Amino acid sequence: MMPAPSGELMLMLLADARLPTGAHTQSAGLEPAIRAGLPTASVPGYIRARLRSVTTVEAGAAVVARSRTLAGGTDLVAELAAVDQAWRARTISPAMRETAALLGRGYTRLLSRMWPQSPAVAALTALRGTSRAVALGVAAALVGLTAAQLVRLIGYEEAQTVAAAALKLQPLDPMDATGWVIQVQPEIERMARGLSNITDVVAIPAIGAPLIEQWAEIHATTTQRLFRA
Amino acid sequence: MKTAGTRSLRLGVAGPVGTGKSSLIAMICREMAAELSIGVITNDIYTDEDARFLRSAGVLDPARIRAVETGACPHTAIRDDVTANLLAVEDLEADFAPLDVVLVESGGDNLTATFSPALVDAQIFVLDVAGGGDVARKGGPGIGRADLLVVNKTDLGPYVGVDVPAMIADGMAARDGRPVLGVSRLDRASIDGLTDWVRAVLASFRSGAHVAVDPGPMAPHLHSDSDDSGGTEYVHSHSDDDGGGHPHAHLAHGHEEQAHEHARPAPSRA
Repeated sequence: MMPAPSGELMLMLLADARLPTGAHTQSAGLEPAIRAGLPTASVPGYIRARLRSVTTVEAGAAVVARSRTLAGGTDLVAELAAVDQAWRARTISPAMRETAALLGRGYTRLLSRMWPQSPAVAALTALRGTSRAVALGVAAALVGLTAAQLVRLIGYEEAQTVAAAALKLQPLDPMDATGWVIQVQPEIERMARGLSNITDVVAIPAIGAPLIEQWAEIHATTTQRLFRA
Repeated sequence: MKTAGTRSLRLGVAGPVGTGKSSLIAMICREMAAELSIGVITNDIYTDEDARFLRSAGVLDPARIRAVETGACPHTAIRDDVTANLLAVEDLEADFAPLDVVLVESGGDNLTATFSPALVDAQIFVLDVAGGGDVARKGGPGIGRADLLVVNKTDLGPYVGVDVPAMIADGMAARDGRPVLGVSRLDRASIDGLTDWVRAVLASFRSGAHVAVDPGPMAPHLHSDSDDSGGTEYVHSHSDDDGGGHPHAHLAHGHEEQAHEHARPAPSRA
């Protein structure tokens, strides 16, 4: 049996790059963006664009998944499936959906090893290949994160994934990349304020980012890749 | 996702860049595809070159060969966070059930890169004669404690000024009796030695006797194991012997100790 989770410590754990969920294979779409000509100076703008679009959609879905899990309805599998479908309907790129499913499996694997008795984890496992948003929503419910903490986690993860990938892809001072993550705090806090109270799938924002989605599609068929996506 | 009854023997192939990991995998596929159902996962650093090489070798259905991107972290992908590789292995096992063996090729890395036992059941560490006759003597976790050390390209010895029997002897000296195999694609006996080893490990795995052993990332005789860790001992310690005749073989121990045994082919005389 795992000890009762401390939300703050579990937030650190989930945000830690050393968490074994396969996240090191990801660039949050930065690799294809750079291949398409995005200059290094525009990477902070790229982070902001993601936070305001695809990340907002994902965080919204995660918040609803957390809320559904905590509500403990009679058919959690169906409720989480509805959240997953709502997220999918708002994510046009099949490559991005596939990537999110792969990451979702990574988190599901982790949760099912840590909390094998949890009915929420059983529901997640039964769904098979659900998106990262839903898996993180269940994780947040399980470890006691607030909705705002969950949104911050997803926002931070997104910014830090781009920053870390930039260091592998471009000549860059690691201090500058870290500065980017610190600079987008207001964006992440704004996202947390906007999303923390939603509980219904219809309230999940629907904001597309056509260029980011197009780059994701191009990357999915590229043969020489440093990052999976 | 993993389906019951489809668990294959997961066999890792590690070693520095250019030592012939892909060729060794192609050799195993070519020699054994008729008797075993095989899948391959490659971990390239900046290309799917290895997967393409293996597909073009025509030794296996191309769909059974999949590449995993490592985000420029080949060491992490086989050791600290094996998630991407495990998911790929499970997908292969599900798509081509039942598979007998999944070969996982590491990205070419340095002498310290070895597989986690969470990913593979057994591992081959590959050196080659052309990389220098002194490399086996340098040691390291893969050279010292992988399930099999292959000294590849033995036919090149005369051309690169390397004394192959001496290099193999160096490997054996570093391995406390674990097997070393000199391999050349031109030496039939060495190829038979390799396939015999794979068969023996598979038989041991299927019998339940096989225990995955972590070669560990550390230099020999450093120690981070403890009695209550329940983990895998990757280096032998002289200090925690209980006096009960703990043999100087490196044993994997969970809650009960179990000897790690499988057939050890004699090194080929190249």
